[in-house]
Amino acid sequence: MRWWVAVAWIDELIGEGVKSVDEVEVFYVVGRSVSADLKQKKINLATTSVDCGLGIRTIHKGRIGSSSTNDPGGWKECLQAAIASGRLATPQAWGGLPDPHPHTTSPLSYDSSMNVESSVAKDLLEQMLSGAEEHTAEVTSGSAALSTATVTLANSRGIRYTDRHTGISLSLEAIHNQSTGYEFDHGCFSDQVDPVAVGEKATFFAHESAGGKDIETGDYEIVLSPLAYAELLGGVFVPALNGRSVHAGRSRLAESLGKEITGPQIEMYDDPLIPRANGSTRWDAEGTVARRIDFIKDGILNNFAYDLKTAYRYGKETTGNAVRGGFAGLPSIGHHNFVVDGKRDTITDEPVIYVHSVVGAHTANPMSGEFSVELSNAFHARGESFETPIRSAMLSGNVFDLHKEIVGMSKKSRAIGSMILPSIKINKQHIIGK
Amino acid sequence: MPGISYYDLRHVTGQVTHIDIDNGVVESAGTSFFNKAVLRVLKNAGWGVLQIDNYIPGNKSDFKELLEEASHLAGITGEIVTLGNAPRGVLTVPPMKEDPRNVSIEEKSSLLAGIETAATHSEVVNRRANYVERIEQVQFSDSSGNEHSFEMCRSGFNVLAVASRNGNVQMGYEREHSIHGFNLRHQQDLGRKAAEIAVALLDAKPAKGGKMHAVLDPELAGVFAHEAVGHASEGDLISEGNSVLKGRTGEKIGNEILTIVDDPGLHEFGFDPVDAEGSAVHRTEIIRKGIVNEFLHSRESLARVGNGVAGHARAMPGEPPLVRMSNTFIEAGDATEDEIFEECKNGIFLKGSRGGQVDPGRGIFQFNAEYGYLIENGERKAMVRDVSLSGEILTTLHGIVLCGNDRRMSPGYCGKGGQSVPVSDGAPHVLLLDAVVGGSGVD
Repeated sequence: MRWWVAVAWIDELIGEGVKSVDEVEVFYVVGRSVSADLKQKKINLATTSVDCGLGIRTIHKGRIGSSSTNDPGGWKECLQAAIASGRLATPQAWGGLPDPHPHTTSPLSYDSSMNVESSVAKDLLEQMLSGAEEHTAEVTSGSAALSTATVTLANSRGIRYTDRHTGISLSLEAIHNQSTGYEFDHGCFSDQVDPVAVGEKATFFAHESAGGKDIETGDYEIVLSPLAYAELLGGVFVPALNGRSVHAGRSRLAESLGKEITGPQIEMYDDPLIPRANGSTRWDAEGTVARRIDFIKDGILNNFAYDLKTAYRYGKETTGNAVRGGFAGLPSIGHHNFVVDGKRDTITDEPVIYVHSVVGAHTANPMSGEFSVELSNAFHARGESFETPIRSAMLSGNVFDLHKEIVGMSKKSRAIGSMILPSIKINKQHIIGK
Repeated sequence: MPGISYYDLRHVTGQVTHIDIDNGVVESAGTSFFNKAVLRVLKNAGWGVLQIDNYIPGNKSDFKELLEEASHLAGITGEIVTLGNAPRGVLTVPPMKEDPRNVSIEEKSSLLAGIETAATHSEVVNRRANYVERIEQVQFSDSSGNEHSFEMCRSGFNVLAVASRNGNVQMGYEREHSIHGFNLRHQQDLGRKAAEIAVALLDAKPAKGGKMHAVLDPELAGVFAHEAVGHASEGDLISEGNSVLKGRTGEKIGNEILTIVDDPGLHEFGFDPVDAEGSAVHRTEIIRKGIVNEFLHSRESLARVGNGVAGHARAMPGEPPLVRMSNTFIEAGDATEDEIFEECKNGIFLKGSRGGQVDPGRGIFQFNAEYGYLIENGERKAMVRDVSLSGEILTTLHGIVLCGNDRRMSPGYCGKGGQSVPVSDGAPHVLLLDAVVGGSGVD
C-alpha cells in the first residue's frame, strides 16, 4: 500500500499542527504478536496481541510538548494535548527537527518469511521441550513469542520514513531439587534462534547446579557470562554514557572524556547498522541518520551519546542515539546495538569462578557503580568444563572499577537484548561466602 | 458458543499526566491517553487470549468474532485449566481527599518545582523531580454474567538529589505515592531530605560484607517480606513447582513472632477493589506465627493448588492477569525501637530500599538498602553506603527475633512476567540475626 493512502491522516495531522506550532513530529507503530506459554510441559495459554500507538511531539519557540494515544482516530485530541503540554515546558535552544536525508530503505531487522502464527509458537515450544529432555530436571515454565511491527516516523520538515521489524524470542525455566536453570534466545530472523539448545541449556544449568558447595569469602578470578555482564553493564555503565546524564551531573564518567577508563584492550561502541541485529535501524527515533559511535577505544573514553534536544542545549551534535521505549512519551537517549569488543582469547585455561547469571543487579548504585549481587548458576570452572557448583555467594564490587581489571574476553559474543557482549574474565573480585 | 466453558473481558481506558523537572527546567509535562482490553477464553483445554489496543465495544457479531479468534488460539493448548470458586464482590474505592483533576497542571508544576528546589545544596549537582498521575476506568464482564466497573486514581512524586565531590557521586531519593488523592502540597521536606542524604553519603564508607546482626527499618523490612516470602507464596509458581514453599503448608519456617500478610483490600498503594478476574479480594496470612499458612491465588491456581483464596490476580491494562502481591507486610510486634537496637548490640542498621529480586525456586533472595549505620553497643554510629542483604528463604526467617510496634507501609511497583503493578510493602523495625550483608568495603 502506498504511503499517502495508508496514512493520509498523518499528513492531515501535521498540517493541522503547524497552524499552531513551529514543528510537529509523528511516531506511529502498528504491530501484531503471538505467544504461547508453557506451564510445566503443557501449553497453558496462547495469546495474540494487536498493538497500535501514536506519539506526537510538538516544538514551538523551543518549548517541547508531547502526547500519545492508542487510538489514531483520536489524533485531534492527542495533538491538542501535545500542544498544551508544550506551553508548560521551559523553552530551550532548538535548531529544528531533521530534514529528509537520502538513505537505503531496506530494513535491517525484518524477516519477511517469519510466520507470526500460534502454530509456529507451538512448534518452537515442542522443540525446546525435546532439548530439555537431555538432562534430568523438571521444566517449570516457558514461552515462545513472534512479532512483527511497522514503524512510521513523519515530521513537518518532510520526513516520511517507514521501517519494519520482526522478532522471535524463546525462554525456558527448569528446576532440579532446589536448583534452578534458565535459558533464552532471541533474534529478528527465525533462523537466528535454536529452540533445542534453549531447552538443553535450561535443564543443564538446573541439573549441574544441584548439590552446590559453599565458597570461602575472598578475592577470586571470575568469568562473567554475557548474561551476567549485561545485567551489570546495562543498569550502570551504559546510562553513564548518556549525554544528558553527563551534563546534568548524574554520570560518574562526566569528567572522564579523553581519559583511560577501562583496560587498554577494550572497545565499546554503538553500531545501528549491523545486519540482522536486534536493535538495527537506518534512522534514530527522531529521524537522524543512524551511524556507528565509538564510546571507548583502546580503553579511552571518546564520546557520549546525544539526541537532538540534549545536543542543542549543550552546543553538541546529535549522535543519532534517540530511541523510544514505545510510542508514549518523548524520545530519549539510548543505544541501538551496544557492542563490547577487544582482543579475544580462551579465558578459562586457569581455574576461575564462572558466573552464568546474577540476582539483584538492578539494585546497583547507578551513580557510584557499587553493587552486591547474589550469584546464580556459578561454578568452579577450568577449560571447557564446570567442576563444582557454588551453592550460594555474593559478588560485591564496582561496575566502573571492574572494567579496569578485565583481563580477557571470550572468542564468541552473544546478543542479550540490544547488547552484543563476550564473556569477560576479571581479576580479583570480592566474593562473600555463606 | 460451543466448547467455550468460560470467558472474561477486561477493558481499561484512562489517562496519564506527568511532569518532569530537571535542575529547574520543566523537561516535559502533559497528558497521554490509553485504551486497552484483554479477552480470555477457556475452550477445550487452556486459555486463548486476545490483547487489543484501542478496543471499541461493538455489537454482538463483532464480539462473536473475537471469541472465535481467541477460541482458535486456545486450540493449541494442552493443559486442562479448571477454575476454582471465588466469591464475587467489589469494595468501594476510598474517596480522594483532593481530586488531582481539580488542580491545574500549572499549579501541579509549581508545587513540584517547590519540592525540587528544596533539594538545593552547595554539594548537590543535580536535582530531579517527577510527578505521575494515572486515572484508570476499568470495565469487567464474564460469561457467568458478572459485571462491574470502577475508577481508580493513583498519583505521586519522586525527588532525586545527586551530590558530587572529587569524583565521588552519591544520590538521595525520596518518593510519595497515594490512592488518597493529590499529595504535592507541603512536601518540600522530602526534597530537603533527599539532598541531606545525598550529601551525607559523600562521607559514608562502603559497607564491609559478612555475616552480622541487622536492624531493618520498616521500608526495607517490607521489601524483605515481599522478596523473601511474597513471591514464593504466589500460587502459579507453587503449581509450576518453582517455589521452595511448595508442599510446606503447616511447616515452621520462621520465628513464632513472625506473621506475614498480603491484603489487597487495605487502603494502601496496592489497593484493588476487586481482582483482575472479578474475584472479591481477601486478606491472606501467608506466614502465621512462623508457620506456612496460605498461598496467594487466582481462580486457576486455587483449583490446582488449594490452600488459600482467589482474589490475588492482578494485571496491567490489556495484559492477562497473573498471581500477584498487593499490600504485603510483616505484622507489628510489641518491641520498641530502642529495645531492638539494644538487643542487636553490635551490627548494622539498614534503611530504605533500592529494590530486590528473588529466585523462588532456589529460595534465594537479594535486596539493597539505600544506606545504613553501624550499630555499636546498641547505638547508631557511622553511616555506610551500598549495603545489601541476601539469604535463603527457608533459613533466614528463623533469624527474625524481634518485631517493633511501629509498622509503616511504603509505595512501590513490582515487576513479574513483563508486567509492573502498584504495590505497597511494610513492616515494623525488625531485628534479623546473622544476616548475610554484602558490601565492597575493606578493612
